[in-house]
Amino acid sequence: MLLQVDEVIKRFGSTLALDCCSMQVEEGEVIGLLGPNGAGKTTCIRSIIGLIPIDEGSITVFSQKQDGKNREIRRNIGYVTQEITIYEQMSGRDNLAFFASLYGMDKLSIANRIEEVAQIIGLEGRLDDKPKHYSGGMKRRLNIGCALIHSPRLIIMDEPTVGIDPQSRSFILRFVKQLARDGSTIIYTSHYIEEVEAVASRIYIMDNGHMIAQGTLPELIARIQGDHFIEVEVRIASEEKKLQLQQLPDVKEVALEGNRYRIVVPGGIPVLDKIVLILSEQGLVTINTKQPNLEDVFLTLTGKQLRDEVQS
Amino acid sequence: MIAFQLKRSSRDLVGHTVLILFPLALIFFFDYLYKNVNIETGMGMGGQSPITALVIGFALTFQIYGSAISFETLAEDLYSPMHDRIFSSPVEMRSIILSILVSSTLVSFLQTAILLVFSSIILGASFPSLPFVLLVLLVSVVFNQLFGTVLLLLTGGVKTANMVTTIYGSIVPMTVGLYFPLPKGEFFRLLRMYGSPMSLANTASLAVMEGQIRLFIICLAVLLLLIAVLFFCLQPLIRRISI
Repeated sequence: MLLQVDEVIKRFGSTLALDCCSMQVEEGEVIGLLGPNGAGKTTCIRSIIGLIPIDEGSITVFSQKQDGKNREIRRNIGYVTQEITIYEQMSGRDNLAFFASLYGMDKLSIANRIEEVAQIIGLEGRLDDKPKHYSGGMKRRLNIGCALIHSPRLIIMDEPTVGIDPQSRSFILRFVKQLARDGSTIIYTSHYIEEVEAVASRIYIMDNGHMIAQGTLPELIARIQGDHFIEVEVRIASEEKKLQLQQLPDVKEVALEGNRYRIVVPGGIPVLDKIVLILSEQGLVTINTKQPNLEDVFLTLTGKQLRDEVQS
Repeated sequence: MIAFQLKRSSRDLVGHTVLILFPLALIFFFDYLYKNVNIETGMGMGGQSPITALVIGFALTFQIYGSAISFETLAEDLYSPMHDRIFSSPVEMRSIILSILVSSTLVSFLQTAILLVFSSIILGASFPSLPFVLLVLLVSVVFNQLFGTVLLLLTGGVKTANMVTTIYGSIVPMTVGLYFPLPKGEFFRLLRMYGSPMSLANTASLAVMEGQIRLFIICLAVLLLLIAVLFFCLQPLIRRISI
């Protein structure tokens, strides 16, 4: 076991940030960590790295107890922060060299490794430019490169694609997949369900400070296999109608995204006529039933829609 | 690590320009006043020419503002998301703080040295016992950089540290008599000579140029003692922000 988080509790004053949070990661796995804002993902990650002390429970990384002072653990973790944390006034090469030096690498190894990392993140030829002249995507890639420079055993990526264009995003996803193929162990948090679906071999879903579900994608979908998912698009949607739908006895969850209602109902229960009745005044455009995906799992388990969290 | 921090500190061209050109302009201005208007400087310069006393006075004044080099750099690393990036590595907080302090001290001392060289070439200022004068100026730089760092770690914010050093850098030169003479009397003499770390550095510099070795040693020793006090204050502050 590369990482074991056992019943961890972390409080910030009266706020319970981690509530008996548990997690296991095996060598070579890519773990997707999903959860709405405030679910405790970043607190969980910071506890694993040892940046914040925990109140109860235990964390074991590389078979060593994480007490916040264990330098050996930190030496083997690469942390990609959610915010871009690079020195904009220093060149890409200087940034990579500086972060490598924090891990005690010698000059020759740094020089060699910089070239390798530059290739991985697609910044060869731009390393001597300052990041202030980079695009947002290039800065994100350098941000990731700085966490890979010391060849960590465990890479933790906290929302690594926030705020970048689709091309850069797909580039980053491609090289995360490549890292996974090369045997890296990765914890990947994201608001983008499709990213987690694309890269993760196993997924943890977190809400209100604890892990509410974990498993491979098919395993998670199997948990809600009995449910049906109905999408109804209307001309004018309203929160009032959403509430009315939620009050129907056979409806498990309702989410509103733009003009589209996403409704979870137990399989085999004829409820479509009631839904249509409620929404008929809204101007029905389309009605679809569909196979569940990770987003539906998330909606069913948390009652929340991840995309709304991003927008809020 | 120090090489990186030096490179990083040297990138602030606007800051360097302000900290070199502004004191030079002020030295030009006050030198012009002393040459053309019948007023006295209050620096108690003994046998030194007004321009020499002015250069030392303004160099010391702008060293106070130069303390921002370290505390602004430190704030960028300690009080921003960069904190998590740096301290997810095995590096100790002490190493980061010391490397920034050392590089900022070198950069600030270089600014002072440039000021002295310019004043010497352009304005004809002369500095007898130059190595000892430079020693005092270096000790003063160390004090100011440490002072700014302690202030930052104590208050936890760059705004307060900036405000305090700005107020300190505005008031203290007046107590040294840099801008105008202080009233006569023992209290003001003591204030001018020993009333603040800047006064001590100023007195030490002028003393060594005049051959008053005892006074030079006393002032320098007190400055070193103050540095030791700040250094000891730094230890618990570093522990406080480390986990």
